[in-house]
Amino acid sequence: MMDIYVCLKRPSWMVDNKRMRTASNFQWLLSTFILLYLMNQVNSQKKGAPHDLKCVTNNLQVWNCSWKAPSGTGRGTDYEVCIENRSRSCYQLEKTSIKIPALSHGDYEITINSLHDFGSSTSKFTLNEQNVSLIPDTPEILNLSADFSTSTLYLKWNDRGSVFPHRSNVIWEIKVLRKESMELVKLVTHNTTLNGKDTLHHWSWASDMPLECAIHFVEIRCYIDNLHFSGLEEWSDWSPVKNISWIPDSQTKVFPQDKVILVGSDITFCCVSQEKVLSALIGHTNCPLIHLDGENVAIKIRNISVSASSGTNVVFTTEDNIFGTVIFAGYPPDTPQQLNCETHDLKEIICSWNPGRVTALVGPRATSYTLVESFSGKYVRLKRAEAPTNESYQLLFQMLPNQEIYNFTLNAHNPLGRSQSTILVNITEKVYPHTPTSFKVKDINSTAVKLSWHLPGNFAKINFLCEIEIKKSNSVQEQRNVTIKGVENSSYLVALDKLNPYTLYTFRIRCSTETFWKWSKWSNKKQHLTTEASPSKGPDTWREWSSDGKNLIIYWKPLPINEANGKILSYNVSCSSDEETQSLSEIPDPQHKAEIRLDKNDYIISVVAKNSVGSSPPSKIASMEIPNDDLKIEQVVGMGKGILLTWHYDPNMTCDYVIKWCNSSRSEPCLMDWRKVPSNSTETVIESDEFRPGIRYNFFLYGCRNQGYQLLRSMIGYIEELAPIVAPNFTVEDTSADSILVKWEDIPVEELRGFLRGYLFYFGKGERDTSKMRVLESGRSDIKVKNITDISQKTLRIADLQGKTSYHLVLRAYTDGGVGPEKSMYVVTKENLAVAVIVGVVTSILCYRKREWIKETFYPDIPNPENCKALQFQKSVCEGSSALKTLEMNPCTPNNVEVLETRSAFPKIEDTEIISPVAERPEDRSDAEPENHVVVSYCPPIIEEEIPNPAADEAGGTAQVIYIDVQSMYQPQAKPEEEQENDPVGGAGYKPQMHLPINSTVEDIAAEEDLDKTAGYRPQANVNTWNLVSPDSPRSIDSNSEIVSFGSPCSINSRQFLIPPKDEDSPKSNGGGWSFTNFFQNKPND
Amino acid sequence: MGFLDRPRAPRGGQKPSMDHPYVPSFPSTPEDPQTDSSVSLLPHLEAKIRQTHSLAHLLTKYAEQLLQEYVQLQGDPFGLPSFSPPRLPVAGLSAPAPSHAGLPVHERLRLDAAALAALPPLLDAVCRRQAELNPRAPRLLRRLEDAARQARALGAAVEALLAALGAANRGPRAEPPAATASAASATGVFPAKVLGLRVCGLYREWLSRTEGDLGQLLPGGSA
Repeated sequence: MMDIYVCLKRPSWMVDNKRMRTASNFQWLLSTFILLYLMNQVNSQKKGAPHDLKCVTNNLQVWNCSWKAPSGTGRGTDYEVCIENRSRSCYQLEKTSIKIPALSHGDYEITINSLHDFGSSTSKFTLNEQNVSLIPDTPEILNLSADFSTSTLYLKWNDRGSVFPHRSNVIWEIKVLRKESMELVKLVTHNTTLNGKDTLHHWSWASDMPLECAIHFVEIRCYIDNLHFSGLEEWSDWSPVKNISWIPDSQTKVFPQDKVILVGSDITFCCVSQEKVLSALIGHTNCPLIHLDGENVAIKIRNISVSASSGTNVVFTTEDNIFGTVIFAGYPPDTPQQLNCETHDLKEIICSWNPGRVTALVGPRATSYTLVESFSGKYVRLKRAEAPTNESYQLLFQMLPNQEIYNFTLNAHNPLGRSQSTILVNITEKVYPHTPTSFKVKDINSTAVKLSWHLPGNFAKINFLCEIEIKKSNSVQEQRNVTIKGVENSSYLVALDKLNPYTLYTFRIRCSTETFWKWSKWSNKKQHLTTEASPSKGPDTWREWSSDGKNLIIYWKPLPINEANGKILSYNVSCSSDEETQSLSEIPDPQHKAEIRLDKNDYIISVVAKNSVGSSPPSKIASMEIPNDDLKIEQVVGMGKGILLTWHYDPNMTCDYVIKWCNSSRSEPCLMDWRKVPSNSTETVIESDEFRPGIRYNFFLYGCRNQGYQLLRSMIGYIEELAPIVAPNFTVEDTSADSILVKWEDIPVEELRGFLRGYLFYFGKGERDTSKMRVLESGRSDIKVKNITDISQKTLRIADLQGKTSYHLVLRAYTDGGVGPEKSMYVVTKENLAVAVIVGVVTSILCYRKREWIKETFYPDIPNPENCKALQFQKSVCEGSSALKTLEMNPCTPNNVEVLETRSAFPKIEDTEIISPVAERPEDRSDAEPENHVVVSYCPPIIEEEIPNPAADEAGGTAQVIYIDVQSMYQPQAKPEEEQENDPVGGAGYKPQMHLPINSTVEDIAAEEDLDKTAGYRPQANVNTWNLVSPDSPRSIDSNSEIVSFGSPCSINSRQFLIPPKDEDSPKSNGGGWSFTNFFQNKPND
Repeated sequence: MGFLDRPRAPRGGQKPSMDHPYVPSFPSTPEDPQTDSSVSLLPHLEAKIRQTHSLAHLLTKYAEQLLQEYVQLQGDPFGLPSFSPPRLPVAGLSAPAPSHAGLPVHERLRLDAAALAALPPLLDAVCRRQAELNPRAPRLLRRLEDAARQARALGAAVEALLAALGAANRGPRAEPPAATASAASATGVFPAKVLGLRVCGLYREWLSRTEGDLGQLLPGGSA
């Protein structure tokens, strides 16, 4: 603040008042009053002088100082303003303001003397720059314009900088107001500098709302910041407001129209309408309306999502119309990726690239690309690239003469932005040749061809590397690379040699430049058959003397295609000796064998193959065979598909070795195939597709010596050994109480299928209806195994056996390929007579001493039935008369008939048992037939039963069988009634035959079979098992029945043998009569 | 009864005979030389009418498919059932008037032919606009191209039929107004979409109307 003081003339009455100070309290009060009065007088004096001096500047050059006039003064007051500077400057004024030049720093005394009618007053002020305010002039907007398409306001004003002596910073404050209500939407500051000149300034602002939607106002003020000015700097006043408004036509419109914006942006749409807008939709989504002036409305969309191809629709709906716009939300172009430039023909450069991220903008908004070559300044443009997603774009650039290095820049541009990629290429190193066309093959000779093709382009300055693929049928394809000098006329030619005559080749070619960039695509394949040449070798030849030794059979193999060099038409064969030459000419090709009658002279056989071009060199072989007395037959076994033959090196063998082989089962001369190996070889692997496992082959190794072949080794072998497919046939030669002698036969070679390595002989106690031997391999301790490795052994005696015991014998042969099937046999050893005699004697003694008890028990007195008239006696039990009606109660000698199922082979009959013949049980047959071992005990018949049997009927009549159960002799014939009821049919014990149905149906029989399993002896029950054929007939062998019953020896009508004829080879049976042992045991085998 | 079925008394009081069936023709005028000579063309005319009617029927179906495809590709709310922009007039193409049915059949066919002649440039303009908006919708673009061609063909067929029936337009045919094409290329994208929708809708309506009008010429028709 200015330090202003007022200098007043002192009135005289003030001196008088001081004299009165010694007064009383009244005086004090008076003093107070006077003081107040004086102060009032001072203020009055102050107002009575110029006061409130205030200085401002708007340009820092002139200060505009003003003061307030003394009170009570009006017009007509004169002022004298004096500024005490180095010199005193005074100004006479009639107004209360003065413009003075800006003062430099420091205090200045300003004296303002006012002269008016009632006196004068003087005020003094101290003035400093710090007390001066800098207030710029109010700015003025020179121009306010708008770009409605971009909703941008453009402001222009002058800073009037020419009035400022010093460089100053200016802060402009610009205010944007919207709507009639002038809502502030933007307040920004804008900094400029005053540089001593009047300068126009521009400012633009993009509105978030289309400018068409509402009126926009703009005003501006400024603030000057001058470093040299120490006074107070203040904002100017606001400029007069300017506005922008859109004059709507009659048509309702929606803004912005068809705008392209970045995905995720915020945007405001508005509808300028004369009618009330009811709703707004973006896509199918309703948006809240923002009301503007009049009926205009707006909607604000935040974070807009990517648009479909045809854009996003924004629709405003009025009462009877709709208005809309389309917005395209997308992305700026991505940086072109994988930009690559290459040429196919050195005429045109193809630059391709991947556009990267999809912009979602198509049509006129799609990305346009410009490919600029910076060295030449040439460019090509791709507009509105509409390639589908993920597909690369490409531009063609014509190559420039004598320019190999190209620096390409690819610029991408769309309404949302731009991007670019660059690539520098030496185009001669980026040649991707076209696919060779017009690919042709022509013959040069039988081993060379000429390849020609067309490769469009001007390649005169570069070399090509071409790859030729050569493929023969059934052969590995070969690839050869050739370097060719590039030409202008696009035609290329290359010779290809080292081919095989008369061979069908498939050629194709592809090329690249020597400075490899990319292979061209393969040309089309071309097949070509090279021309024929003479066969390069004579056929592989062998010879055999015929079995009668008079003819020489000459064999030769067809030449392989690579040696035939064409189609073999015929063969010439000649046999030359010192004396004569015999020839066979023009033997047509399919024939690879010739027979010539020769005497035993030594001949040289020559075979020549011929094709259309010429003959092969002769293939020669001597007919002479050098004898070899020291020849053994060896065994060899192969490995998989082949068989390895080795021999010792023999320096005498001068030409080669020949291995000949054949199937051993074939008749002589046996020749399947042969192979020649060089004379320095000592081994070879013989392989043939005809080899089969388990087949025996003969191999003969010949050595060539002095033009004659000598058989060096003779071998038999298998490519792979298998297990025998049959078991050895074996028989029991002799049986004693403690040993069995077994004898077997050889297995035929065809069935052996390998080299016989031995036999496995198993034996152990067992009966045919048990399955002990089924577990031969399970290591049972009671099963003994004998491994017979001496294959010449053909018999085996098994000792230390128990007497009167059934043994199960099994024999199997084995090779290295495995163990063959088994063949088994049951044998019962003979009874030990000494023990039997002792038991008999003891029994006899016991029976004698207990004879009374035995008699009472077994032979009570029986009334004489002859006294009964109701009964009539038969003359003979065995007469078979139909009149037989009564029971025969007389004891008879119980008999045992052992019925033996026999084959023609070797039935074994031991004591009262008949053992089944040897049953062959192949190893792999789980359903081997059960062995049948039947012991039928019978008594003279009590019941005569007639059994209808279709088989028997067919055989010529019914069989009458009469049985007598041995138990019936010692057991009561009839049980008490109660006992019978308690003893069901299924119970054990004797089942009287009286109860058996005579005409049983099959079902009944089957039902009774189940019952029989728990019943005792009931031979009659299972009538189905009766077999009326002879035991040695095939039918009996095939039967699957566990028990096979045969007709009784008493059958009067049977025409079949019930007891097989005695076999001389079989152990002798002691007859079918009563056996002592049967008296003590029902089951002799137990 | 169809137009062809309706016997008309031959001029000069001749009675119809089996050898000379009545020709379906419009009221003849002295300068219409075909009226008399067309008597022998009846089978050919009937075949022509049937053929043209079949074509119109087929194109009506195509137009329906075109409209559906067009709507699908403009984005919402074009596909919404509630979206029904006002049926604004299209420069150069009048909408079928409600009074259309009350006009004589030859007059209706003349209007049909005129509309079909006006449609191709509009459809072409729509096609061009859609090529910018939906360049990856080849089926729509093909349908639009086909529609323009087919409208032209059907219009020509109807005019030929009118000529054969002796009811051809007299004097040179009025060319479609030049404003037609420019009208189709409306300023904004949204108005262009709406205009395209309108054009496709009018195309379908005129085809349907033409089919109906031709059907009335057929035996069993109500003309």
